[in-house]
Amino acid sequence: MEAPPVTVMPVTGGTINMMEYLLQGSVLDQALDSLLHRLRGLCDNMEPESFADHEMVYLLKGQQGNPFLLRARRSLAHPPAPWHLRYLGQPEVGDKSRHALVRNCVDVATSHSLPEFLNEMGFRMDHEFVAKGHIFRKGSLKVVVSKLFRVLVQGNTENTEPLSLSYLVELSVLAPAGQDTVSEDMRAFAEQLKPLVHLEKIDPKRHM
Amino acid sequence: MQQREEKQLEASIESLISRVAYLKNSLQNFIFKLENEYDRLTWPSVLDNFALLSGQLNTINKLLRNEKTPSFRSQVIIPLLLSQDRDEELAKLTEVRVPVFSHEIVPDHLRTKPDPEVEEQEKQLSAEAARIGPEAAQKQIQTLNKLCSNLLEKLNNPREERDTESGALRQNKASFNPADTTALVAAVGFGKGLAKCRPPGPVGPAQPGQGPVPAGQGPTLQQVAIPGCSGQQAAIGGPVPPQQPGQPGKIPSNIKTNIKSASASLHPYSR
Repeated sequence: MEAPPVTVMPVTGGTINMMEYLLQGSVLDQALDSLLHRLRGLCDNMEPESFADHEMVYLLKGQQGNPFLLRARRSLAHPPAPWHLRYLGQPEVGDKSRHALVRNCVDVATSHSLPEFLNEMGFRMDHEFVAKGHIFRKGSLKVVVSKLFRVLVQGNTENTEPLSLSYLVELSVLAPAGQDTVSEDMRAFAEQLKPLVHLEKIDPKRHM
Repeated sequence: MQQREEKQLEASIESLISRVAYLKNSLQNFIFKLENEYDRLTWPSVLDNFALLSGQLNTINKLLRNEKTPSFRSQVIIPLLLSQDRDEELAKLTEVRVPVFSHEIVPDHLRTKPDPEVEEQEKQLSAEAARIGPEAAQKQIQTLNKLCSNLLEKLNNPREERDTESGALRQNKASFNPADTTALVAAVGFGKGLAKCRPPGPVGPAQPGQGPVPAGQGPTLQQVAIPGCSGQQAAIGGPVPPQQPGQPGKIPSNIKTNIKSASASLHPYSR
């Protein structure tokens, strides 16, 4: 089920393949305020947006190899908003000098019947969590500071408990494939957040 | 002799007027920017404006200190005629800021001594300075110089030295926990630590199998991860036979049959 790296595939029309460049870090609860102040100063001047999302990860187990993963996300703060379905590919194994994790990313907005649709397709929900936090933006850079909550009873998002005493900080950019200047900008921005939080590329497979 | 002095005086006054005009312009621009574009203003551009103003003040100072400029202190200005009428010439010269050369503007514009309050304060300061005596004054000057040079040294030193000492300071104020980072990234990446609880076989024998897995995450997660997962398992462990169809991934055998049936029928709509 592994697709070849997107950057070597020829562009045959249709949509542009968007890549997500990602840097992740975390910050302890007590340091959250100073991080938010710093982000407010560094990022574009807008009202800080907070969000509360419920994300469900669906797996399709094929006969061979890795299962296919889709992420369905809905807003708990704005229930009428459309659901968001996202596919994230494997991280591109490019040169090690690239500073950010790069992976193929496909995003679509869907209607509210998404879970039933996925179930009918054969996907099964693997896990779910609730994320609450703030989102900042600087140009095309997006910084998301969120606290992850574990859903204790499946489907019940009222009853949640925090996963840890830290907030997850993610710096991401969505750009078409092949733009490597993006990771330089991300690294420069990450430098400005040190030593409050160390944003680095964390390969999820290493922690499997 | 007198003519030369007069010419020098005129020339220096001309250049002084032009310098002051520059200063006034840049002040005007800066105030305009502050009043109208304050939401778009960045700190570096404010600093630039201040630097510009300070540069212009410096040139004025240099001009005044120049040996070619005659001493302005020796010149005396006496108002010969004060009137309450509006003077058009004066208004034009001063851009309508001083339309009337009257009794109100004379104390402000022709002032030679500082304000009375300022004079009081200066007198107090000089009295105090005289009071402490020359040796104490010298010692204070020396400590001030030493403090300034220390500060300059600290600021000019290479970054690594500064980082090592501030790193030591910040050890006790660590603002992030790398173990938490890995735990959170693993949770978002593939649901590690979240209650997915996929037992490998039937629920009973799987429980001790699942036991060590969440316990392994115990030291990394500061919150209690184990009861979360085992709580779910206890919920399943109760009603073992009636597997709720809504529970995902609890028994892989179920899932396999589901997928087999789906692939066997393949595309039902294509028939």
